[in-house]
Amino acid sequence: MAKVNMEKVKAFAGDIRQHWSKPAEGRYVPYREYKDIFIAVGSNYAGSKMLEYLWFGASCYLMMYHYKLPYLTYAIIGLINMPLNYVWTMIGWLINDNLGFLEKKKERILYGLYFGLIVVGLTLIIAPVSLLFNQNGAFVTFMNGLEGVNCDSAFKILGTHILWNGWAGARNIFWRKKLLPKFGRYKYSLYCDVIPKCIMVIVLGWLPIYAIDDVVERVWKANLAFAVYCIFGFGNSLEACAQNISPNTHERVLVRTYPIKLSHLAHSIMAIVLPVIVGFLPGKWEDINLYRWVLPITFCTFALLTMVFAGRVKERIPQPPLEKKVQINFWDGMFGVMRNKYKWVQNVVYLLDSLGNGMLPFATILYLYTMRLYGLTYSLIVALVSFAGTPPDFFTPYFMKRFSYKQIMIFYQLSRAAGNAMIVGALLFLNGNPTLCGIVCVVVLILMEMTKTVPTSVGHDMDIRINDYQMYLSGERLESFSGVFGWFTGPITSFVGLIIPLLLLAHGFNSNWDVLYVDDSRLWIITIPIIIDIIGYLLMTIPYIFWDYDDDKQNKVMAVLRRREEVTLANEMREVDVNG
Amino acid sequence: MAKREKTKKVHKNNLVDQSVYDAYKDAIPEDQIWDYQVEGLQKPHIRKPFENAKAKKIAVVVTLVIAIGLSIFFSFWILHNDPFKYTVLDDGSTELTRFSNPGDLLELRVDYVVSEVKSNTWFEKNDKGENEKHVEYELVPDETTPVAAIHEYAFNCDEKIRVIEIGKDVTYIDEKAFYSCYALREIRVDEDNPNYKDIDGVLFTKDGETLICYPIDHDAYLRERFNWHVLNEKGEEIQPWPTGDWKTKGLDKYNDYYTREYEDQVNTYVVPSTVKRIAPLAFNYSELFRLYLPEGLERLETMAIFRNWHIERVDTYTGEYKGDEPLDEKFIPATENVKYSLPDSLAYIGSDCFNSAIEMDYIYIPENVTFIGHHAFWGAARKEDGRLFGLYEIHLARSEEAFKEVECGPSWKGEYDNGLFPKTSSVIYGETRLPLPEAETPEPDTAPAE
Repeated sequence: MAKVNMEKVKAFAGDIRQHWSKPAEGRYVPYREYKDIFIAVGSNYAGSKMLEYLWFGASCYLMMYHYKLPYLTYAIIGLINMPLNYVWTMIGWLINDNLGFLEKKKERILYGLYFGLIVVGLTLIIAPVSLLFNQNGAFVTFMNGLEGVNCDSAFKILGTHILWNGWAGARNIFWRKKLLPKFGRYKYSLYCDVIPKCIMVIVLGWLPIYAIDDVVERVWKANLAFAVYCIFGFGNSLEACAQNISPNTHERVLVRTYPIKLSHLAHSIMAIVLPVIVGFLPGKWEDINLYRWVLPITFCTFALLTMVFAGRVKERIPQPPLEKKVQINFWDGMFGVMRNKYKWVQNVVYLLDSLGNGMLPFATILYLYTMRLYGLTYSLIVALVSFAGTPPDFFTPYFMKRFSYKQIMIFYQLSRAAGNAMIVGALLFLNGNPTLCGIVCVVVLILMEMTKTVPTSVGHDMDIRINDYQMYLSGERLESFSGVFGWFTGPITSFVGLIIPLLLLAHGFNSNWDVLYVDDSRLWIITIPIIIDIIGYLLMTIPYIFWDYDDDKQNKVMAVLRRREEVTLANEMREVDVNG
Repeated sequence: MAKREKTKKVHKNNLVDQSVYDAYKDAIPEDQIWDYQVEGLQKPHIRKPFENAKAKKIAVVVTLVIAIGLSIFFSFWILHNDPFKYTVLDDGSTELTRFSNPGDLLELRVDYVVSEVKSNTWFEKNDKGENEKHVEYELVPDETTPVAAIHEYAFNCDEKIRVIEIGKDVTYIDEKAFYSCYALREIRVDEDNPNYKDIDGVLFTKDGETLICYPIDHDAYLRERFNWHVLNEKGEEIQPWPTGDWKTKGLDKYNDYYTREYEDQVNTYVVPSTVKRIAPLAFNYSELFRLYLPEGLERLETMAIFRNWHIERVDTYTGEYKGDEPLDEKFIPATENVKYSLPDSLAYIGSDCFNSAIEMDYIYIPENVTFIGHHAFWGAARKEDGRLFGLYEIHLARSEEAFKEVECGPSWKGEYDNGLFPKTSSVIYGETRLPLPEAETPEPDTAPAE
């Protein structure tokens, strides 16, 4: 037995040596690129996770402990920005799904529009526009009645939104056109965003906006600062790139299961180390030095590592050359995504998932308020829970072969519902004993994490397959145009997504998270959203019944895409020959 | 040769895609690459006009306009806060459920349902020549509908309101109603109210047995009451504060601005002797430095002295005090009537009661205490530069054996950082109460009332 295993190991090692720089027959990725993925994706992922400590939302510790903005204000800002957002989004789809390559005339018009928006945005921020309205009229009175906002600041928030969209839109065309041919559709943004992002991460910690006494002024200035910060992305682009690293579906799964999964180790280590560092800060998570020193230094280090190794990770989507790609006009994009049956399945799931929108992060509340964890104890528990999902993930290829995607995803939803029901039970029956209640919840969280990673990988693969299928249907992946589904479901998600914040408000949750120390209030603030979420998980099993896109269909779709690439390339070569 | 075969075996999965492709390659003619339909899937639609495109476009646009319109309507409708939300209770009376400040409302009277909020805004040049905004509110009451109750968290997190007046018909106030009202200075109660009263802006039950709320910014009211207008070198009015790090660096606590007299008048509170119970969250976030509890107090409820970061002493006094001294005088119990730490009469210490009382040096839990809630002394000890501060030791009157009869919640003792893992505060059993530290004992400003 041992001899057989040794032979396998030797064969595997020999295989790695043989295909270190040149992939095996039928494969696209040499093993050296596995190593690059491990470092580059790991740094990118860990860096992007660091940014989760810095965002404009109620559960960000910087907001929670320093800015102390009213909970509903975040939703109100979203609403102020909502109407115009539809316009910018549509324009963005057109640019993104054409990869930034537009007709000259269209491009000039869009640049004109975006620079105009920058001017209008700045005007609204600087000028006291609200004075143009009757200060005692219904409009001003209504706006002044919004939580954390008044009429003056509402115009500044709107101005911020317009400025942001003008600036981001112009950058989007410019940098896509300049960088996409060289770096591909997923990782190009890292090259133009990384330096300003590092600067903004440093600036946010040092800007003393949280010290402003007036909450209204604090809100609009914080919104402006975070808007500028968000212009520059540092998303997990390299992982998206690595997800599309090969046209070979089996190889994609291998890359996702091993180098990508292992690359998350960097984040797991940080998840342990960071809270330990925080434990040494006098104010713990409330200490401003966390945002001034610890996060910026950590983020900048990961950003540097990302950029060193990013160039070696390649995307390999079978597609015609950029100059021969299918030009997507607006209605082709809209009708294209709506024809895709699997997009409908996916979006009905998203719609049902919105039942949990607005809930507070349960695990954070459990660790910080129920169990009162901090320092190394906090790190170890967080690491234990998040690590619990790693070992099962290495068996993802087995589960994918043994069970259908439909079975795995239905099991996933049912396991979430069952796990959350157990948590609700623990909260209700053990509320008087926070320690025991916490232990039971942590055990359930570990079980849920263990049963989560395989379906998560399957979910990622489903997303990529849906995009491959879209490319087969429409000649482009139309990832941006897919956003139109969100518009159809918007009325329901916006309505449902506000139910939980309002229920939380009724139980005392507003800008002060300390209310979570009140046992009775904490019980309701946690359990009501979880119960709503359980209903969502049960309903989410229904759309997956209609999923029938199997391996055979995927392989055939990929064959069609490869054939298109082959033929267009051959035609291009012929044209070059003819034209000399 | 054998090695090559093994390598091939490892890669057998790689060739599945390739074999499908090889089989398909010839089946897809060059001129049909954009139209070729895979069996069981929809046909591609590329570079071709859609059928009935006009009708489809109209349908999509109409649907989207309705959907977007509904989204915006629902969202604004749900989010807009009416300044006052009321609920009609089962007995037909009206409860104030939620107050959302319409902007800069600083004083509010809760007596009748407010049917309309009128505002008048104007601008005036201030000393710096800037246009300063002023808003005046007029609340139109519906005098046929009195407010009978105030719901829990009704004023939660209001950062503007300074004075709340409670009308005569308000017969129930939830004890958590005023939680996190950071600017609240005074709660005034109508003298005819049958269930509640205020003593100098602090809310009590009518019988005086329960202290319900000491407003968070009550010190601002006391500054006005004692006419403290402290100016810094630039001539700006400031809130006096003790010398920074005075305790850890061994400096003098008092300075040019923060004097002992100021501390006694503004940052010290004497709970009236009628009080037997201090309600949940009663002293939440107060800026008190000293608190005197009466001998006779029985219960400190959940989070009663929650997050009082500056509180240094919670002591006990004997004698009678009703809180009715003249406005220009402040009663401080005479030294001989003061005991170090908690009253002997105390039986109940609620959960998180002394959470974050990091500046306290001594706590003595008397014999009579039979319940200590979870995390009662959480965050009340710290280690800095190798030295321990706060309540790192808890002194108990009961012996270890006798203490087993006391019902204690988990982690009641609190912890402090000690290397990688925290260390629990230690407990000393069978202690006798320490005498008042003489060096810090002030001379009384006034003698206790007879």
